[in-house]
Parts: sequence; structure tokens; C-alpha cells
Amino acid sequence: MIGPSERATERILLVSAAVSASVTVLILGFMLVMALPLLRGGGLFSLLTQHWEPGKGLYGIYPLLVTTAGISSLSLLLAFPLSLGCACLIGLYGQRPPGTLLRRIVQLMTGVPTVVYGFVGIFVLVPLIREFFQTGSGMCLLTGALMLSVLIAPTMILFFQDSFERVPRSHLAAADALGADRAQKLLYVVLPAARRGILVGVILAFGRAAGDTLIALMLAGNAVQVPGSVLDSVRTLTAHIALVIAADYESPEFRSIFACGLILYLFITVITVLVRRLAMPESGERP
Amino acid sequence: MNDEQVKIKVTGLDFFYRDRRILTNLNVRFERNAITALVGPSGTGKSTFLYTLNRLWENIPDARMSGTVEMSLGGLWRDIYEGSYPVTELRRRVGLVFQTPNPLPMSIRKNVAFPLKLAGNRDRRLLQDRIEQALQMAYLWDEVKDRLDDDARTLSGGQQQRLCIARALVLEPEVLLMDEPTSSLDAAATEIIETLLVALKQRFTVLVVSHYLDQVRRVADCVVTFPDGAVVSNSSETR
Amino acid sequence: MNRFRENALIGVSWACGLILSGIFFLLVAYLAHQGAGVIDVKLLFGETPPLQALLLQQRVFDGLFPAMVGTFLLVCLSIVLAVPLGVATGIYMAEYAGARVKNLFNLVFDVLAGIPSILVGLFGFALAIFLHKHFSNRIQPCLLISALALAFLVLPYIIRTTQAALEGIPGETRLTALALGATKPQNLFHVLIPQSLSGMLSGLILAIGRCAEDTAVIMLTGVVVTAGVPTSLLGPYEALPFYIYYISSQYAGPEELLRGYGASLILLLLCTMLFFAAFLIKKRLTYLALYRP
Repeated sequence: MIGPSERATERILLVSAAVSASVTVLILGFMLVMALPLLRGGGLFSLLTQHWEPGKGLYGIYPLLVTTAGISSLSLLLAFPLSLGCACLIGLYGQRPPGTLLRRIVQLMTGVPTVVYGFVGIFVLVPLIREFFQTGSGMCLLTGALMLSVLIAPTMILFFQDSFERVPRSHLAAADALGADRAQKLLYVVLPAARRGILVGVILAFGRAAGDTLIALMLAGNAVQVPGSVLDSVRTLTAHIALVIAADYESPEFRSIFACGLILYLFITVITVLVRRLAMPESGERP
Repeated sequence: MNDEQVKIKVTGLDFFYRDRRILTNLNVRFERNAITALVGPSGTGKSTFLYTLNRLWENIPDARMSGTVEMSLGGLWRDIYEGSYPVTELRRRVGLVFQTPNPLPMSIRKNVAFPLKLAGNRDRRLLQDRIEQALQMAYLWDEVKDRLDDDARTLSGGQQQRLCIARALVLEPEVLLMDEPTSSLDAAATEIIETLLVALKQRFTVLVVSHYLDQVRRVADCVVTFPDGAVVSNSSETR
Repeated sequence: MNRFRENALIGVSWACGLILSGIFFLLVAYLAHQGAGVIDVKLLFGETPPLQALLLQQRVFDGLFPAMVGTFLLVCLSIVLAVPLGVATGIYMAEYAGARVKNLFNLVFDVLAGIPSILVGLFGFALAIFLHKHFSNRIQPCLLISALALAFLVLPYIIRTTQAALEGIPGETRLTALALGATKPQNLFHVLIPQSLSGMLSGLILAIGRCAEDTAVIMLTGVVVTAGVPTSLLGPYEALPFYIYYISSQYAGPEELLRGYGASLILLLLCTMLFFAAFLIKKRLTYLALYRP
């Protein structure tokens, strides 16, 4: 038998959970409804393939898509080896100063405001790139990707490190018994066993890079074009959303930002499902 | 055992966890004002069985049970799984002491007062009396009467277990279930608790899971072996 | 075994560690060098007498005061909106949800946690337009809309930390009060929530940090460059991170730029302090877990 206060508590909690969950759905709903007029009648295809020239009535987001994919991939390419190295260092010196110190720094870095990274980027990194390559303003895909890699590295390191720690003690003990030293254990036992965790960390970091707004907005130049080289000024999907504030809420220009939003939303959903799929069997092994 | 001495009747009890069968068609009766020891190899469902007597298994996900459990509570025989009988009421009459001492992170006083508070008792005088009484019964009063407001976790392991017994006794239950109450304690603490158990059977029906055969021989009036639930009387052998 | 590979691993790891910490220290040192000299009363209040500014008698024009007040109010409002909903949801997920519901909602909240903040901002913006059209034309992007959007942004953090803190409680502790005749809500309020409080609190602090630093959400939902100290929930407001963003591209002279450095340093310090607070609370949590004899 369940008393009335017990039932009331459960009902309040259930309603809260339903409201929280509905926020996720509501965001998708708003994106869909606002972007729908653009997607009707083959609109989706032209949206994804056309260029962005509002003067000629072209509102395609193809350049933005390419840029987002490019800048995220490049930042990942830069951050991945760095992150793996840092995670290894922490793994090698687990409880001793080099390891714990680096871990603290990395944790602290996750708390640094994105806008501060962007601000420092503008006044340090941009002039550096400008001087070094002697072209343009220094605001380009490469600048954005460099700063973005600093932004996503801590997340990746902590995730890698976490998956290192999940390697069963028995595996490590077996290696110990065979006379393996720290580096050998890491190289031949921990890294192979943590492969899946590393993959998940990379996917998550890719999502984080594609979803970030401020770095690309502040450092990549914001010109809408398909990048020909890493030194071109470019605009990502997220920066596009931040920049287009049209006066006319019915215009295709305004609706295109919701299409960008929709694409990002679906992208994140795919990433989330993928990560859960990959992470599931691992968590299933440990009851 | 004639019918008047019976306190608990278990009939056709099956228990499943996930898809694993833990208990099969268990039929067993327990005598009132006696100590019954539950013995058997580990993993044969002794702890689980205790949980079926206060319905605590219902709070474990993926567990399933069938069969009936009847108890004589307050002089009336009732099916404890009958819908109209509140589970909280049942658990106030059937106390449980866990294997490892589990005082809550609060003072000694508040730990013992906790079940009374849950039952809605707010009379301070009454609380004070009942706390003292319960701690006396658990042989703990003299050791803690001057430090009732200390954190319960500052007590030794044996004291903590007696505190948990006091906490179970403060509601004046009729049945006391104990899941290997001494397995985490040293010899001296174990001895105190065994003496305590024998004293408690004057007022309560005690079921105790035990792995130690010498302990069973010392304290138990009756022995039920698991997994089959066969009853062996202990009195003929030792007394 | 291959000695070279092992030595290379050690060498490369050290190099990576040094590069990353080097970047971090450079960043902090650069900001400290540029911004430390600027942080004084004038940075906050400009030419306005501080007391009169604090009492809201006189408006501050050339100082960070309105932006700091704006950020403070924004954080408070978002947290007030997000915490009850998030904690209640976390409790439901940990204690009440059945396996299938839990699985589905876990996915939903994972997606919510992954949604880029600019999308949450866009949602807030669209919501404001929607409300403006259909309910009241007084509603426009404003402090309240920003706070609501930020609340949605940090909601999954609060749900997750609450859920994790509750699920981390060992099974036997979970049963203790129930065995003593507690109802499910009694168990929840007397045992489970008190035991998971520090876990929840560290989540709360991380959420505060997220609200304080976020720029993408607020830039679409009502933040402006000059508004003074906000007077209404339905009005525009200033905020520290947006000020930094704005200065970085639109600074009118060296003096304004210096103020940007000062603001960056203040925001960095604020977030660092919050981080350490969360860390200390968590440390206490592990201490409590180890203390158990």
C-alpha cells in the first residue's frame, strides 16, 4: 500500500523529469518548425549544396558545412596526439607530482571561459599567424583550429585518462608479475585495453569542436566561403547562427540559421547515440 | 513444534533475481521466542530469505518472488504480502540488522531515535526513554551514555553493531532478523553480541544467518539449513 | 620487447605535457601581465563614486560594474530556475524511473548535454519571438529569456550530478532506513539526499561556472553592450563575457582594450575560484567515503 504523500512525491518528480525531457524535444521542435519552409520541395538539397549569396537569393549553407567539418577535423588532428601524450604522462606518473600536477592543470583548463581563450587568441595568436605567414589578417581556419585544439584537449585528456583507469587491475597485476615496467605496462596493456575509450573520447571531442561558437567566431574571420587553404577566412555553422540577426523573421536568410541549428542538432544526436553504443558493452562488463 | 509455538509460516516460496532462481519451493516454520539459525553454503539465498520476511527485496531491482509468508503479529495471523497491510508497518514489527554495521552519518542519539522519528514520534520525553531502553537492551548504554551526541561512526565496530541492534529494537519489534551480525567483528565483540542474542530471545523471535558452526551450537535453539529449508532441532544435541 | 618504443613513449608524453602546461601558463601569465595593473576601483566604477554606484543612485558608464551585476543576476536567476527542476529530475532518474524509461531519458539528457550552447541561445531567441507574437508584445530577448535559456543549458549538468550522487550510494545504506520502516520519500529525504549533498553541490558550482562564462547563449537572447544595471527582468542587460567578446572586436582605444584585459582576468579568476570550490567539496566527498570504517 502506498500513502498519498508517497504518491504525490513520485508524481512531482515524474512531472519534473517529463518537463526536463521535453526541453530537448522542444528545442528540436522549434528548429524544425522554423526551418521547415526552407526544406520543402527539394529545398533541403539546394540548402546543403548551394552557396551563400543573399544578394542573388542564394541561401545555401554548403560553405558553412565544409568549414565546420574542416576546422573540427583539423583541431582534432592537432589535439589528439597532444591529448594522448598528456594522458600517457598522467598514466605513467599516476600518483606522483608530474602526473597529479598535470591532471590539476588539465582540470583547471576545463574551467577557463571560452571567451577568454578567444580574447587571448585575438591578441596573441592572430598577430603571430599574420607575421608568420605574411598573408591576410591572421584570422583564418588555422588560427581557429589551433585555439580550438587547446579548448578540446582537456576534455579528451580527462576522458582518455578515465578509460586508462578502467583497465582491470588484474590485467595490470599480470603485467607486474611478468616484470613489466611502467612504460611497458602502459604501452602493451593499458593502451590496447583502452582503445574503445580513446575512440569515444575522440568522438566526443569532435562534437565539442563542431559545437563551439566563440573560438571560430572570434578567430576564423567569418567570411562565408569554401576554404581553399587553411589560411582562408571562414565561417562555421555556429558562427553563422551567432552573426545572422535579420530584421525580417520570415526571410529565408533568417530561416537558414534554423537549418544550421537543425543540422547541428542532428549531428549531436548521432554522436550521442554513437558514443552510447560504443560505451555500453564496456559498462555492461562491470556489474 | 506445535501450532501455538509458531510465529512465522513460509509456504511455497520461490525467489528469482534477474533470471536466476535463488530459492525453490521453500516451506518452513519458525518458533516464537527462540533463536533460529539459518545455515548453509554461501550463495544459497539466506540473506535473500531474510529480505522476504520484511519485504525489503521489493526495493531491489529485478527481483521477483512467489509464495506466501504468514506471521502472527500483534496476536493476529496475517499474510504479510496482503495488499492492505502497510509495508512500513511490517518493517516496524520485523527488525533487520545487516551484516556490516551501518550507522547513519548522525549522532548516536539520532541514530536510535531515527526509526521513532520515521514513525512520527515527536514527544521528546518518550524519545529519551525509548532510546535509553533500547541502548540498555543492546548492552550499549553504559558505554555511550556520556557521549550520545557524538557521531555514531566514531564508535568501534562492535559498538556500531550493537547500536544498529538498538536501533532495530527501539520500535519494539516482534521479530528480529540478523544477517551474519558478527562476521565483521573480532572475538570479544562477537561474544558480547552472542550473549545479547540469548537475552533477546525472551522478548523476540530471532532469526540469525550464521556461517560459524560453533556460534550456531552456542546460541541457536533451532537450525534451518539452506537451500532446502530442512529443520534440525538443536536442543537435543547440546542441551 | 622494444626499448626504443618505450623510451619514445616517455619522451613524447613529457613533451606533450610540457606543451599543454606551457600554453596554459602563457595564457594566464599574459592575462595577468596585461590585466593585473588595470584592476582597481576605476575599472569597476569608472568616474562614478563607488558608493553611489553600489546604491544604484548614479549610473556607471566607463566601468565593469553593470556587467558584473548583470552576470551575477543572470547566474542567480538561471540557477534558481534550473536547480529545482534538475534535482527533481535527477532524483526521479536515480530512484523512481523503470529500466526502459531510464534508458530513454538517459539518451534524451545526453543529447541535451551535447547541444551546442549557440543552439540553446537560438532556441531562447525563437522562444522570445514566439511569446512576443502570441502572448505579449512586452516580451523580447531579455534577462529572463537569457536566464531561462541558460537554465536549459545547465539542466543536464544538474540532473547528471544529482543522479550520479544518488546512484553512488551503496545498496546497503539505501536499505537501512527502509528496513527500519521508512517510506520511500522518508528514505529519500532523511538518508539518500543528505548523503549525496556534496556531490550535488559540486555539480551546482560547476553549473554556476557554466552560467557565468557562457557567451553564445546570451548573445542571442538579450545581452547588450550598454544597459546599465538591469532594472527589469524583461529588459536588456550587460554581462561580463559578452563585454569581453565585444571589446575584442570593437575596442575604440587602448583604454577600452585595457578594460577588456581587466574583464578577462576577473572572469578567469571567478571561474578558477568556482573550480576550486567544487574541487574542495568533492575532495571532502572522497574523504567521507574513505572515512567509513
